[in-house]
Amino acid sequence: MAKRWLGILTVLTLLLAACGDSGTTTTVASGTGDTSASGEITDIEMWIAFADDTRLGFAEDKAAAFNAAHPEYNVVVQSFDSYNTVFEQAQLALDGGNPPEIIHFFEAATQEAIDAVDAAGDPIFKSVTAAIGGRTEILGEPVVLDDVVSAARNYYTIDGDFYSMPWNTSSAIMFVNQDMLDAAGVDIPETWADVDAACDTILAAADAPSGCITWPNHSWFIEQTLGQEGTLLANNDNGRTARATEVNVASDGMKAYFQWWKDLDASGKYLYTGVQRDWDGTNAAFQAKEVAMLIYSSSDTTVLTETGAENGFNVVAAPMPYNSDVPFEGNLIGGATLWLLNGLDTTTEDGALAFMNYFSNPENAAEWHKITGYIPITNAAVQLLKDEGWYETSPNSLVASDQLDAAANTPAARGALLGNFVSIRDVLTAAAENMLVNDGDVTTILEEAQGEAQRLLDEYNALFSN
Amino acid sequence: MTLLIALLVGAGAGAYGFRNALRLRPQPRYLAGAAFGLLGAAVVSGATKGCAYGTDVDSIQNVIGVAIAGAAGLAAATAASSTKAARGDEPIAKQRSELRTGTYRLGWWWPWLLLLPTLIILVVFLYIPAVQTFTLSTMLVRLGAPNTIDVCLSNFTELLVPNPWMVVVLPSLSVAVIWGLGLWKQRASAGSASYNLATTLQPLGIMALLTALYFMFSGGTNGYRSIYLNTVVISAGTVLGGMVFGLAIAYLAFQKVRGIGVYRTLLIWPYAVSAPVAGILFFMMFDPTAGVIQHIFDGFGIDFPNYRESVSLARFTVIAASVWKVLGYNILFYLAGLQNVPIDQIEASVLDGASAWQRFRYIVTPSLGPITFFLLITNLTYAFFDIYGTIDYLTRGAPAGATSVAIYEIIRVGVDNRDIGRGAAQSVLLFLAVIGLTIWQFRRSEDRITYGGVG
Repeated sequence: MAKRWLGILTVLTLLLAACGDSGTTTTVASGTGDTSASGEITDIEMWIAFADDTRLGFAEDKAAAFNAAHPEYNVVVQSFDSYNTVFEQAQLALDGGNPPEIIHFFEAATQEAIDAVDAAGDPIFKSVTAAIGGRTEILGEPVVLDDVVSAARNYYTIDGDFYSMPWNTSSAIMFVNQDMLDAAGVDIPETWADVDAACDTILAAADAPSGCITWPNHSWFIEQTLGQEGTLLANNDNGRTARATEVNVASDGMKAYFQWWKDLDASGKYLYTGVQRDWDGTNAAFQAKEVAMLIYSSSDTTVLTETGAENGFNVVAAPMPYNSDVPFEGNLIGGATLWLLNGLDTTTEDGALAFMNYFSNPENAAEWHKITGYIPITNAAVQLLKDEGWYETSPNSLVASDQLDAAANTPAARGALLGNFVSIRDVLTAAAENMLVNDGDVTTILEEAQGEAQRLLDEYNALFSN
Repeated sequence: MTLLIALLVGAGAGAYGFRNALRLRPQPRYLAGAAFGLLGAAVVSGATKGCAYGTDVDSIQNVIGVAIAGAAGLAAATAASSTKAARGDEPIAKQRSELRTGTYRLGWWWPWLLLLPTLIILVVFLYIPAVQTFTLSTMLVRLGAPNTIDVCLSNFTELLVPNPWMVVVLPSLSVAVIWGLGLWKQRASAGSASYNLATTLQPLGIMALLTALYFMFSGGTNGYRSIYLNTVVISAGTVLGGMVFGLAIAYLAFQKVRGIGVYRTLLIWPYAVSAPVAGILFFMMFDPTAGVIQHIFDGFGIDFPNYRESVSLARFTVIAASVWKVLGYNILFYLAGLQNVPIDQIEASVLDGASAWQRFRYIVTPSLGPITFFLLITNLTYAFFDIYGTIDYLTRGAPAGATSVAIYEIIRVGVDNRDIGRGAAQSVLLFLAVIGLTIWQFRRSEDRITYGGVG
């Protein structure tokens, strides 16, 4: 009997402890006391969406170096497997009263991040420009936000305000198996028509690969194409002058791209891996020499080039092919930025800002570029790499930066900003898959997708309007 | 007007639910049933503020609203009549009093105290979320959004064909078929040709229901019909395949062979693998570029088709991975079940000259009834819920949504797309499907399965 009572008591104690715990956490989080004055260490949590050794390792190394230089702070990196998971967990943590100070979030959800509010109706994130407030140095770390390259600046500036701190930024570029192209005697294609012609030659050879070109069925490549063609995806200048209320999926630019894509697939030139957003499968097909060309994110330039060499062929990077029937406007960026939590006390906020600026200082940004292929995010970092002679030894690494520099600062080339973008992207890739797998008619498919995409945007706007 | 119909339907359903209530003469019995039915319908209508009965919503919402009122009426009356039956039942009352005086001498609160931890867990992790799911399913709601919008039943009705007559007539037809077949079997005398025919035709009822549901769900690329079809095909394939192969392999592994212990252990291994890992394994094996299957076929100069681009192959691969995953579990239980097959009956049948197949068909299979029933439920649970992990790693619902089953769609819509209301509505639908299947299974198996012993 005594044992039973003991068991019940244990359970009750645990329950009470659990309740007590959550109570205390809330108090701590809502407190605004200056902790550093008493010599305590301020914790800063950064949640990122990378779980691989290279990228997570970089973040952890930089956090450790920052902590060593600023012993009053302790930056902790927590890794998640996707942007969606980070955002969701952060919102749940916010309700629970212990959210991270810095959240890594991707470009397509920019509108949603700006719009997001907590249970009390306050914005979740604070604009980094506002938080920096014109300072050129925070805790001894120089502010680098003003030096961010123009493509990223154009994308992330909303109503004249830089909302979040750019970190990983890339563009869609093309990688070719130069040995395969040389064997077929074709030059690297620049336009859609060039791709068609080159593929005809490559596939005509006796030992031709099973396909000629591939890229992930990811909406980002569709958006890149719309930027090149100067086609708007949403009204109000792609949602840049005011909140987007109409999405235009069935535009002529979109139809042209889908038709080209469908014809490439039907003639056996495009290799579809059968899975949406299939980064791994398309990459594997390129490395296995099943295709001669791969349109991919520049984020993997370094590893793609190295792996190609390991597999015995020469990888050359080139700009993404474009539609030469319409005037060219430019490619846009992709990637993610670091968002600052709203409502932090001054000490924590300054620590977070100092870390963000340290994280992308010229040396760190250059290192980040070298190990991945994401573009060097500040002009100073670009200069540093040039001085080092990096681009002479790694010409592939320069393609993305050059491509972004060549883009016009027009609404189409800056990229769309709209609510529920992640779901609308899924509608686009589902439509493309329907076209590729079920051989659907381009116009019908895009008009169906238009209805679905507009509904998603309408619902989002209804939920976020005041 | 619609509200009135809803309440009347609720009352009617209540009266029907009371048809077997004990110790009451017909008239007051039906009246009492109607009262309970009315109460149930009224509570449900009140909870939704009667939003489904107005003229401002489309007529399918009216239809569904009436159907829900009817179901609530039936449920309320059935619950009421079963407590009535229990009270009138002498032995149960006696057992109760024995329990009361025999075990819990410390007081009435003692059992409740012992149950408290379980009850708290049930309430916090099961009942509250369940109620929230029902509430959320009538709203447009998004994580991080300041507003929510009440949408009444439109999260449900947009899954259906936009034609109220289809929504009314199709299920009624299928219920009529099932009911008619049941009545025919009941009326025919056992053993007669008519009875045998009725028994053979029983599956028609289920097929009628499945077909009716197929046409009730909205078609088109974004319609729910394709999800329904995927779910039926993949669940049926997984459950049937898993159980047939499970029994076959267990029967083989039950024979007396040297080293059988090793075989049995190896056969049960896949059970220790989690559902996502099963997905990853098949993903690697069937990978068109680097997979071992492609490699083997390359050896014969055959280009193995890419399952990621073929609708039927993709479904087949998902089924194969799921069958492989549940196989170990099924073998384990069938092996245990086979040890309980009465040896004397087998021996007698051998003496009577029964062939191996006849012994298997008429003695082994029937005595495995309870195990089969149990496995049916657990395998269905796998096929309806756990299969998410397998699909997410194997096909991610591709190609063109051909392997996106109900649970995969719920998570895609509710979690990935953050459309919590629609996700909740779809999970309510899955919840109803599982409840329906379970009730049907219990009913069907009651007269077929014997657990041994008396009766």
